[in-house]
Amino acid sequence: MPVLELRGVTKVFPGVVANDDVSLTLERGEIVALLGENGAGKSTLMNVVYGLLTPDGGEILVDGNPVRIRRPRQAIDLGIGMVHQHFMLVETLTATENIVLGREPTRLGVVDLAVARASVVELSERYGLKVDPDKRVMELSVGMQQRVEILKALYQGARILILDEPTAVLTPQEVTELFGVVRSLVTAGLSVVLITHKLEEVLASADRVVVMRDGRVVGETRPSDTDEISLARMMVGRDVVLRVEKGPANPGEVALEVTDLDVDDDRRLHAVKGVSFQVRRGEVVAIAGVSGNGQSEIIEAIVGLRRPRGGSITLLGHDITHSSTASTIAAGVSHVPEDRHRRGLVLEFDLAENLILGDHRRMPFSRRGFLRPKAIAATAKKRISEYDVRTPSASVLAGNLSGGNQQKLVLARELGRDPECLIAAQPTRGLDVGAIEFVHKRILAERDAGKAVLLVSLELEEVQSLADRILVIYEGRLVAEFAGGQVDAETLGVYMTGGGRGAASGVSTTGGVSA
Amino acid sequence: MPSVGVAEIVSTVVQPDLFAAAIRIATPLALAAIGGTICERSGVVNIALEGLMLISAFFGVAAALACPVVLGITGVAASWIGVLAAILAGVVMASLHAFASITLKSNQVVSGTAINILALGLTGFLIQVFYQRTGTTDSAVLIPPLFAFDPKPSGGLATAWNWFSGVALGHTPLVYITIVIAIAAQWALYRTRWGLRLRALGEHPRAADTVGISVVRGRYMAVLMSGALAGLAGANLTLEQVGSFSENMTAGRGFIALAANIFGRWTPVGSYLAALLFGFAEALEIRLQAFIGVIKIPPQFFLMLPYILTVVVLAGFMGRAVAPAAVGKPYEKE
Repeated sequence: MPVLELRGVTKVFPGVVANDDVSLTLERGEIVALLGENGAGKSTLMNVVYGLLTPDGGEILVDGNPVRIRRPRQAIDLGIGMVHQHFMLVETLTATENIVLGREPTRLGVVDLAVARASVVELSERYGLKVDPDKRVMELSVGMQQRVEILKALYQGARILILDEPTAVLTPQEVTELFGVVRSLVTAGLSVVLITHKLEEVLASADRVVVMRDGRVVGETRPSDTDEISLARMMVGRDVVLRVEKGPANPGEVALEVTDLDVDDDRRLHAVKGVSFQVRRGEVVAIAGVSGNGQSEIIEAIVGLRRPRGGSITLLGHDITHSSTASTIAAGVSHVPEDRHRRGLVLEFDLAENLILGDHRRMPFSRRGFLRPKAIAATAKKRISEYDVRTPSASVLAGNLSGGNQQKLVLARELGRDPECLIAAQPTRGLDVGAIEFVHKRILAERDAGKAVLLVSLELEEVQSLADRILVIYEGRLVAEFAGGQVDAETLGVYMTGGGRGAASGVSTTGGVSA
Repeated sequence: MPSVGVAEIVSTVVQPDLFAAAIRIATPLALAAIGGTICERSGVVNIALEGLMLISAFFGVAAALACPVVLGITGVAASWIGVLAAILAGVVMASLHAFASITLKSNQVVSGTAINILALGLTGFLIQVFYQRTGTTDSAVLIPPLFAFDPKPSGGLATAWNWFSGVALGHTPLVYITIVIAIAAQWALYRTRWGLRLRALGEHPRAADTVGISVVRGRYMAVLMSGALAGLAGANLTLEQVGSFSENMTAGRGFIALAANIFGRWTPVGSYLAALLFGFAEALEIRLQAFIGVIKIPPQFFLMLPYILTVVVLAGFMGRAVAPAAVGKPYEKE
């Protein structure tokens, strides 16, 4: 008997059928991967199971018994736990406090922290989930925060564990470690639903794969019976290129030159320490590293969002070290920011307005301080079709687009400006394979048009498939440089986490890297 | 006017009663500030503290005055019933804010401002209806200090005793209750299940929701508690300090309380200490006014002192205050 069974679950949002007659089973001790593009309805389905959303039709059975789950509390009581994509952790509380929250061991209303801590340590040891129980969550690494989330579900008594895009924020080593933990949970009798859009994870870890598209289940298979190509076809509904074809680079003159850059972060700590590198026309240079090692600060310094403490930045020989964002744009730098919601778009503005941000002061979009709606509309129309932004019209608010279309919108603006140098930070974060393919092709097209491209990405897959040169950053310093295609993910992972300095072969420390 | 030296001013001003006044003045500020702390820790901004204090100050007096007629209770007992009425008035008024900001998910600053304006208008109107005049109510019986001491003759130990009793022992009951509340609330916030959940609500309500903690119930509780505390603050003003209610008698104390809550970094004891600082500034101002002719500083300057201190403290000296992350945001289920 399956531990969890969904029969014909339907969930309708105004104007959208998010789940259309979805059926699914999960056996005891099994890992089922729920695969699909963003917006395919995977998270919606699991939020229904967890009681965060109320279904409009269908049935849920736990251990063969029909159940009505209207609140997370009921899901928890049925033994269902969920690790959300955006962690449900209270940053100012300790790991222990977060884990026991909602089921605190108490004596007369007073929380017994010693008992709580002991349970956390016991669980943590039993399943090999290393955490620091006394640290506040804000002080923990992302990987450890995720372990706190898993422990929280286990503490609540979960037998069925739903993991929503668990690897999006992890390093390759952490991913391996996570799947080790998941395997041990399943061995101990738990059942796991893994929501993902990453094909290699599915093939590496799942016992069974259920593929969703447009709110429906479109297929089910076992990893042994399939491969990445056919999974991608099932998921997207057409053939996709998983790794874009790329000709050899044809580097020209130096476009962007960063010399001895020192930058402080928000907490005024020294985040970038004497970083030097060059990006030539016609090449993609990638900075690989674990999140929070100074990548964001380097980019912010280049584009004028952060004042460097020392060093210099030049674009085609012009000093832009202390330029404002406006003059940096004018000098020919375009920036695809890492957070498209916070920095890339004004979600409350429509597409046309978003498409001219940064250029709004210039002809033809404005004259003497007045916007020129006709010119704006014409450009918007052209760029929307050129960049394949799927929208009913240019007057839709940017916030109403899907993530992939929002990212295309950012690209349409930044590349439509015809820059000399493109700075792309995590350009495919949260996108599915179809959209990734589009973004990657665009970035390479810029390179082939003789633009300099600086790519910052946490996704090694992306770094490897796009970069002509790879710089590895660790704790604010560039610690290694590789030629594109000459290094595997494991080696990069070692350097990214501070190991292997100078040990591995194939390291070239030319090109102004301070190793 | 004879010339007065600095030393003389200092020795006249720095007397036990300066510090006693600081504690007295701090009491309503601290009560409202702790209410604000609890409310904001749950994720609801409470800019309505001013109005909550005002309305409960009025109903405290009104109930105390009505007691002899309606219940046949007179004297201090009537005033204690007034205190209960003030708490009730604060809770009722706060429930409006809770309903608007939690159930209706309206803008919490707008809701709070509306309550402040409503409280001002309503109390002014009710003075006319109940007492047939404008501006001020009749006087209720003041709740007396808990202990009464006569100063001992001077000399070594006696001076120390006079200072101690003068500063700490001459107060009315709510002054001591406030200190107890500050310490108890601090303990509860960091040691009890209620406190842990309250902190979670204000930082990440969805996290609390996903482990089965009711955001709506927790926030209602917190807002109503802040109403009760602001009610006590109002009761202290009218029934322990002044005796009667006059229009707009809170005069911005609710907003200073809000500042004290921030300066106290959203902790009950911190709020109390911040209120004490503001209370001291006001006590100093009152005493320095006696020297207006001597010190060549315009009297308005002294009146400004507590408010300047508020601005300086909030803007300059405390660095970045970290508010609860979800404060002011209505909680939306998906």
